[in-house]
Amino acid sequence: MDLERTNDQELLRDTAVKFIKETGDPVTVRALSTTTTGMPEKYLQRTADLGWYAMLVPEAFGGGSVSGEGLRDLAIVAEERGRALQPGPFVPMNVVATALARRGTDAQRDEVLASIVAGETLATWAVVGTSGVWEPGAVRATATEGGFLLSGTCGAVQDAVCAEWLLVTAGTPVWPARVSASTAGMSGGPTQFLVPASATGVEATALEGLDLTQRFGTVSFRDVFVPPSSVVGEVGGAAEDVEHQLQIALVLSVSEAIGAMDALFEMTRTYSIDRIAFGRPIGSFQGVKYQLADMSLAVQAGMAIATAATRAVQAGQPDAGEVASMAKAWVGDAAIDIAQGCFQVFGGIGFTWEHDSHLYLRRLTMGSVLFGSPDWHRERICQLHDIEVRS
Amino acid sequence: MNTTETLPDMNIYRENARRWLAEHMDQRPSSDASAESGLATEEFLKKKIATARALQRKLFDGGYSGITWAKEYGGQGLPLEYDVAFLEAAEHYVMPDFDTFNSTTFDVCVPVMLEHSSPEFLRSFIPKVLAGELLVCQFFSEPSAGSDLAGVRTRATRDGDQWVINGQKIWSTLAQFADWGMCLTRTNWDVPKHRGLTWFAVPCDSAGLTIRPIRQITGSPHFCEDFFDDVAVPDGYRIGEVNNGWTVTQSMLVRERGAARSADTMSPTGPGDLVPDLVAAARKAGQLADPVVRQKLARAHTNDYVSRALGFRIAQMTAQGDLNTGVAAYGKLFKGVYTPIRARIGVEIAGAGAMTWDPATPGADATALAYLNGRLISIAGGTNEMQRNGIGERVLGLPREPSFDTSKPFNEVLLDSAHWNGKD
Repeated sequence: MDLERTNDQELLRDTAVKFIKETGDPVTVRALSTTTTGMPEKYLQRTADLGWYAMLVPEAFGGGSVSGEGLRDLAIVAEERGRALQPGPFVPMNVVATALARRGTDAQRDEVLASIVAGETLATWAVVGTSGVWEPGAVRATATEGGFLLSGTCGAVQDAVCAEWLLVTAGTPVWPARVSASTAGMSGGPTQFLVPASATGVEATALEGLDLTQRFGTVSFRDVFVPPSSVVGEVGGAAEDVEHQLQIALVLSVSEAIGAMDALFEMTRTYSIDRIAFGRPIGSFQGVKYQLADMSLAVQAGMAIATAATRAVQAGQPDAGEVASMAKAWVGDAAIDIAQGCFQVFGGIGFTWEHDSHLYLRRLTMGSVLFGSPDWHRERICQLHDIEVRS
Repeated sequence: MNTTETLPDMNIYRENARRWLAEHMDQRPSSDASAESGLATEEFLKKKIATARALQRKLFDGGYSGITWAKEYGGQGLPLEYDVAFLEAAEHYVMPDFDTFNSTTFDVCVPVMLEHSSPEFLRSFIPKVLAGELLVCQFFSEPSAGSDLAGVRTRATRDGDQWVINGQKIWSTLAQFADWGMCLTRTNWDVPKHRGLTWFAVPCDSAGLTIRPIRQITGSPHFCEDFFDDVAVPDGYRIGEVNNGWTVTQSMLVRERGAARSADTMSPTGPGDLVPDLVAAARKAGQLADPVVRQKLARAHTNDYVSRALGFRIAQMTAQGDLNTGVAAYGKLFKGVYTPIRARIGVEIAGAGAMTWDPATPGADATALAYLNGRLISIAGGTNEMQRNGIGERVLGLPREPSFDTSKPFNEVLLDSAHWNGKD
């Protein structure tokens, strides 16, 4: 976590911790793993009451944050969420909220953004294909009479089956020859649409997954007709918006991972002091102690780079995308290293279903590959520096 | 600092500093052509240090040396913001670079002396340090006491109002160019090891002190071994109380680990260019488009930036009052782990072609030298393993390994260790 926090931010954290204590103990998390929504009763409304979906939204649209730096505030909440493996579409809800706040039409803000902020509707982001590889544009938009047709299938859509609204990031619109020149002004970039999940031709399918604490699914679009009023931002001009949304998603997902890493590590540290073998706490053996020191270094370094990324994206620094990718790449690797290292300290007990260690392993691993794997982000860092790809 | 005294107006101070710098110091060349490449020879180091001494003298005469240090010791007695203001004004000027003495003298030894030496000693000593006349090296480690620093065997025996030192020190960085050394000795052998230690400031030209450069794996003579044969020093050169040397050592170790932070890690600036040295190596090897090579470039670049972000985080922790050797150890361990990895990435990217070079081409050996030098930080100033102990025991609260030498007299430890059986 960022070591520089205001009193208001401390209060925000305390409030989040208090709420999470009531809803997020491991027993509850386990019980939720077999339900359809994966969330406690009225979870969205209750978390909305804490402002969890309002912080990236200007006050004029019903949002607001305690410090005026919404992403830094949100990162504090994200870390606490990760610590307790909180369920729910925290990341995609905030991504959709920021997209609508920045680029939405008045109607979209009135109808959907206000409900997201209030936790009255579930909105999620359909952006990548079923491979889950970060490559926006799995859905193709084709211009048609009076609107667009969407087709394709998105994977790794969080809370796909419970969502009422989908922010669809579609590839470059295709313009059949017969469509008139009235479509002038189209450039070659992606287009985003806000689509009701109830639209004809939209089908969401729930999937099982490695991560027991969050729900993912696929959403397929079969010639789904959407009117021009559903476009968010500019037709063919959403590249910058998608980049911004990605940066938000990276900061929040990395912050969640940091919280989860810290909690898992703390559990392991305590265990290494309580657990006696050869007449001593096992944490006194250098073989174990050194593993814990290395993991603790990874937590601290992870917090350092996560903070740097949060601040960079918050400030809109020109290198924010790069720093966010660095954080995702570094923390993504460190998360899996820590999950393995802690597993090694727990020994056999950590391989049992009852032990919470695997819940963290699962969540951290999913987080590591969602929104771009570490390798993907490293390649992106090279490309952001214009290091030529051609041989 | 005398608080009744009025401080100079900051704007005037800044303006005067700018004017003084423009008049007395040289601008740094815009391109970093002066960046060191190739082997640092004895000759090179000698010249570098002589240049730094002359520049330091200029600063001292201008009143810009020891800006925050006490007036009675030749400093300016000003608050930190004046130091910061001067450094900002001096950003584009050539400032004294004493190589490793930047940290050993100015960040570690002298601040520890200021804390523990007698005021009489400091009054004559410190002004000369500020004037660039005295550089202080570290007579700490010994052939049989490195990680186990409290196990030193260099002996100091009282003889009237002086002490006589006998023994051997090693890994004393740049001692061949130092004027004084800060020396850890044993003054009582009949008590447990931490309770019989005493520190002294020793002039390097003392009779009986022989300083011999050691050639490192790079070929560079960056550190020395030092032989003490009946070296006599007055009691006034003592640093701290007799047999209370471990307390002094603790404050020294915190500073030594803290000194691993360079100034650029103190502020959270952006990541900058993608590892320019490695990109150049990849381009030269024709591997820039190779996806595996690109992964390595980004990995090294990311690790470099994480290291800086971590340095900033540790500085924040320290500023918030967490002056704990364990916390400082995080930064040291990160560098100790990732510097050799970076050096190895350099070799992997540059390939066999960079492991051989034409001696006439300047800098052609850079990858190979970085590869060799890359392992320095994992040992020097406390091994990675010692940092892990520090983190494990001081930060994470893990119990210590059982100890066989901390509670019995040191002379017994030496006798018993010869036939140690793991039982006592």
